Amino acid sequence: MMNLVGRTKNPPAMTLEGVLGPNSRLDEAEGLAIDGPDAVAVHPDGRLLVSSGKQVVVLPSWGAASERFAMLDAAVTALCVSRSGQVAVGLEGGRLAMFDSSGQPLNGWELPAGQAVSVVDCAFRSDDELLLVDCGYPVAREVLARAAWDAEPRGKLLSLRRSGEVEVIHGKLHAPMGLSLDQAGRPQVSLLERAAIVDERGAAIRSGLPGYLGRLRQTQQGYLLACLARRDPLIEFLKTERGFVATMKDTVDVAHWIAPRVSPEFSHDFPIELGATRLFGEVKPWAPSFSYGLLIEMDAQLVPVGSLQSRANGRRHAISDVAIWDEAIVAVSKGSGELLKLARGCSVS
Amino acid sequence: MAADFHFASLPAQRVPRLVVSPRRLLADVLSKGWVESLIPFVALICAVCGILLATDGYFAPSNLRNLAQYAPDGGLIVIALLVVVAVGGIDLSVGSNFAMSAFVALFCFHILQLPVAAVLALTILAGALVGTVNGAIAGLLGCGALLTTLGTMITVRGLYTLASQAQLVEISSSARMDDTWDWIGFEKVLTLPVGFWVLLVVAALAFVMFRQTRFGWHLLAVGGNRKAARHGGIRVRQTIFLSYLLAGSLVGLAGFLFAARQNSIGSDTGIGMEFFALTALVVGLGGFVPGRGAVVSVLIGFTTIYVLNNAMVNAGFRGDFVQLSMGAIIILILAVDVKFRKNRHRLLASTYLDPVAFETDAVKGMQGLMPDETAPKLRDATILAVGQVDGPEDVLLDKDGNIYCGSRDGYLFRIAAPGHEKAEVLAKLGGRPLGLAFDRQNRIVVCVAGMGLMRVSLDGAVELLTDQAERSLFSVQDDTTIRMADDLDIAPDGTIFFTDASKRYDIENWGLDLLEGRPNGRLLSFDPATGQTRTVCDNLRFPNGVCLTHDGKYLLVASTWECSILVFDLARLREGPRVLTSGLPGYPDNINRASDGGYWVALAGMRNPVFDAAMKNPQLRRRMTKRVPPTNWLFGNLNIGGVLKIDGSGTIIDALWDTPDGPLYMITSMREHEGALYLGGVTNNKIGRLELTGADPGWCGPTSYWGAQG
Repeated sequence: MMNLVGRTKNPPAMTLEGVLGPNSRLDEAEGLAIDGPDAVAVHPDGRLLVSSGKQVVVLPSWGAASERFAMLDAAVTALCVSRSGQVAVGLEGGRLAMFDSSGQPLNGWELPAGQAVSVVDCAFRSDDELLLVDCGYPVAREVLARAAWDAEPRGKLLSLRRSGEVEVIHGKLHAPMGLSLDQAGRPQVSLLERAAIVDERGAAIRSGLPGYLGRLRQTQQGYLLACLARRDPLIEFLKTERGFVATMKDTVDVAHWIAPRVSPEFSHDFPIELGATRLFGEVKPWAPSFSYGLLIEMDAQLVPVGSLQSRANGRRHAISDVAIWDEAIVAVSKGSGELLKLARGCSVS
Repeated sequence: MAADFHFASLPAQRVPRLVVSPRRLLADVLSKGWVESLIPFVALICAVCGILLATDGYFAPSNLRNLAQYAPDGGLIVIALLVVVAVGGIDLSVGSNFAMSAFVALFCFHILQLPVAAVLALTILAGALVGTVNGAIAGLLGCGALLTTLGTMITVRGLYTLASQAQLVEISSSARMDDTWDWIGFEKVLTLPVGFWVLLVVAALAFVMFRQTRFGWHLLAVGGNRKAARHGGIRVRQTIFLSYLLAGSLVGLAGFLFAARQNSIGSDTGIGMEFFALTALVVGLGGFVPGRGAVVSVLIGFTTIYVLNNAMVNAGFRGDFVQLSMGAIIILILAVDVKFRKNRHRLLASTYLDPVAFETDAVKGMQGLMPDETAPKLRDATILAVGQVDGPEDVLLDKDGNIYCGSRDGYLFRIAAPGHEKAEVLAKLGGRPLGLAFDRQNRIVVCVAGMGLMRVSLDGAVELLTDQAERSLFSVQDDTTIRMADDLDIAPDGTIFFTDASKRYDIENWGLDLLEGRPNGRLLSFDPATGQTRTVCDNLRFPNGVCLTHDGKYLLVASTWECSILVFDLARLREGPRVLTSGLPGYPDNINRASDGGYWVALAGMRNPVFDAAMKNPQLRRRMTKRVPPTNWLFGNLNIGGVLKIDGSGTIIDALWDTPDGPLYMITSMREHEGALYLGGVTNNKIGRLELTGADPGWCGPTSYWGAQG
C-alpha cells in the first residue's frame, strides 16, 4: 500500500451496502447442528455429503438422521464429488483420499507426499482429472490468523490425474481457499486474504470483495461465494504496520492475534475494536467484529447481486462452504457448527 | 484498622511535573481563539519588515507619532463597521457620515461658537442620527442593510455637499481659538496624540463589550444565528438597531477628532473611506464574518492596510500603482488566511491526539485466578432493576440498604430496599454522574463528568460544590475546568478527594485518553469548609477510583491505564504517590472497602498482549486514529470485566468473573453491604447482587466511614 513517495494509502472502504446491505438471513435460516463441519458436496444420487471433523457423513434429506460415509485419520479439509459419483476428500497434512459412491476407497489418485501442504478445496475437471487447491498453511484452524500477516504466496493450484501425475498450474497463490470451474471448465480460485477471485494464471477476475473469502460454488444463475469473515478496516490497516505485526507474531500466541476469527466468542485474551463494546450486555448488530457470517450471491460475471448475512450480534459466522441441494441453498457455518438451509433466491431482491 | 503496608517502603510512582510535547504545544496553540488572528498578524509583521527593508527611517518616532495622529479616523470607523458586521449587517454610509459629522463639529465650533464639550456631544449625536436612520430602516423595519446604507450614503453625502458649500467660507474665515479644541487636535499625552488615545480607549471598550457585556453577546448571537437568537429570547430587531446607533456614534466621534485636527473640510472628505474600512475589516477578519467581535484582529488588519498604504504613498508611487499593489497584497493575505482558517480545525484534529509509549507491568499475582482458570462466581449473582437504570457507573448503599446510582442521561436514582425492584429519580444533575459517596451529614457527594463535584441531599436538593480547579503552571490549554470528575472519597475531616480523570478529553471521548496514554489526569481535593479546590497531584494516568483506607490515613487511587493502584499518605501529600499494587489483569475502576479490612477493585475491562504491545507503539496508535474509523480502533477488551479482592497490603486474594457472555461484563463499581456485593457497570442497564460467603453480615459502608451514629 505504499505509493511513489513512500506514504501509505488509506485502506479501501469495505462497507456492506447496496446489494450487500446488512441483513440477518443467515440467522433466520433453518439450522442443523453438525460436529466440526467444514465442507459440503452434493452427490449425483441426491445425497448431501458433509465433512464433520475426521469423518464424512451423508444426509439423504434435510432433517433425516445423518449416516457415516467415511471415517478418516485426519480432519477433513476439502470435499468434492465427480459426475460419476467419485468422492475426493482432502485431509489435514496435505493428503487426499478417494471413495466411490458407497464410501469404499478407490485405487489410484495418489497425491505424492510433499506436493501439497493442506488441500482446502477440490473439483473434478473430468472423471480422470482432479483440480486441487493447496492453501499453503499446515494447520487449518490457524489459516485465518496466519494468512492475514503473511505476504508470502504459499498456495498452489494443482492438477492430479488418476494415474498420479501432478501438474502445478499455479504455484504462487496467496492463501487460495476455494475453487470453481466456469462454464468453459476453466478454474477460478478464491483468495482468502486478497479478497479476490483469480483465474488459473493468477490474474484477478474480481477483486475488492468485502469479505475474507472461503469457497466459491457455481449455481445455475451464477456463483455463491462463502466468506469466512467480513473484511475489517483495522486488519487492513495493520497490514501496513509491519513492525507491530512482527512484534505480535514474535511475542503473542497465534490464538490471540488480531485476525479474522471463526467464532464470535468472548474471551479476556482477545483485543476488541472500540465500537464493539457491548451496550446493556448486548452486542450491537452494527458493531465491528472479527467474525461475521457472509454469503455472497454473484451473477455469471462474478458481480455480487445479493447476500445473506449473520451480523456482529449473530452466531452463524464463518461460512466455509455452500451448495445447492434439493432446490435450496445449504451453507456451512463453522462459527455455530451448523448446516444452514436457505430458500433459493431468498437473498436476491 | 491500621493499614497493612508500610508506605515508605512501597515503590514511588514517577509523576512528571509537566508534560513536554511539541505536538501538544502546537495543538494547544491551534485551539486558542487568538490564533484566528495569526495570518493578519503575520501579514502585518511582513508588511513592517518589508517597509523596514525598503525605506529609511519610516519607523522613526517622529513618523510613528505622525501615523498615530491620523490613525483614529480610520481606526474608529473600522471599529464602527465591526459592530455592524458583527450583528450581521453592513454600513456603507460611514464615509458620508464621517464627513457630515466633521461638518457638524466645525459648524458648532466656529459658527455656533459652542463649548467644546457641547460640540463633541452634538457631533456624536449627528453621527448617531445617521445610525438611527440606518438602524430604523435596516433593523426595525427589516429592510436590507446594503440598500439602506447605500441610500443613506448618497443622501448624507448630498446633505453634506449642500451644507458644506453653504458654510465653508464662514468656517474657513472663523478666527475662534480654543485651548481644549487645540489640545484634542494637536497635543500629545505620553508622546502619543490625544486622538490615538481615544482610539485605544474605544478599542478597549469595544473589546470588553464583545467579551463581557450582555449587549456584546447579543450582538454576536444575532450575527451568528438570527433565528436562534430570536428563539433564545434576544430582541433581534432592537439589537440590530442599537448596533447601527452605536456605529453611527463612533463615526461621529471620528468626525469630531478629524475636525479638531484639520479645522477644515473639503468636498472629498470621507470619500472612499467606507471601502478603506471594509478592506481593513476583511483583512482582519478573513472575510465578512458575522457573529465575531474580533477587535484586535480588525485593528491588526487596519494597521496593515494603513501602514502599507501610507508607506507606498510616502515613497512617491503613483496612485494607480498603489491601488494595484494594495489590491494584490490584500488578495494574497485573504487567500492565505482563508486557507488557514479552513484547515485549522483539520490540523488541530490531526495533532490533538498525541500518543506516547508506555509499558505496563506484566500481569502478576493472578495465578489460578484468571477467567479461564477459575469458576465464574458472578454467574450466581442476582440481577436487579433490569432496564430501569442506564449506565450505573457507581452504586452506593445507605444504612437501610437503598441503592443509589447515576445514569447516562444525568439523573441520580434511588432503588428502595429491600426488594430493589423499582428505580426512582432522586435528583436531576445533568452531565454524567459517576462516583458517589456519603458525607458525614448523610448527603450524597457525586462526581459528575462535564459538571464537576455536586452534592445531593436525600430530599433531592442539588448543590454544585466545585467545577474549577487550579490552572496547571505550564499548560497552554486552560485546564481550570474540571472535565471528567470521576470518583471520590471523603476524609474524616470532611475533605473530599476526587479525581479528574482527564483534563484533555470529555467523557464521550475517554477512549482517546487511553490511546494517547499520557498522564492527563489529576487528583483534586475540595474542602467544604473553605470552598477551596486544590490540586493534590497533577499528571496522573487516568486516575479513576478513589478509596480511603480503613484507618483513614491513606488514599488509594486506581491508575486505570497503568493497571495499578497508587497510594497517597494524607499526612504527606506532597511526597506524591507510591505503588500499592501493579500488574493487574485489567483496567481498574472504582475501589471500595471490604468488611474484612481489604478492598474491592472493579475491573472495567481486560488487557491483552496485543493491546499491551500497541501501547508501546505510539506512532502506530497515531496512524490508526488518522486512517481507521473510530469504531474500528484497536482497544482494550471492555466486554469482559470483573472484581478483584485485595487484602490490606494490596495482594490479590480473589477474583470474581461472570461467564464470558454473561450480563455482568464491564464492572466499574461494587459496594459491599451486609454480606452482599452490589455491582454496577457504566455501559450496563442492570445491577448485580452477589451473596458473599464469609463476609461480615452487619457491615455497611456508611458505618465504616462515619460510625453507627453518622
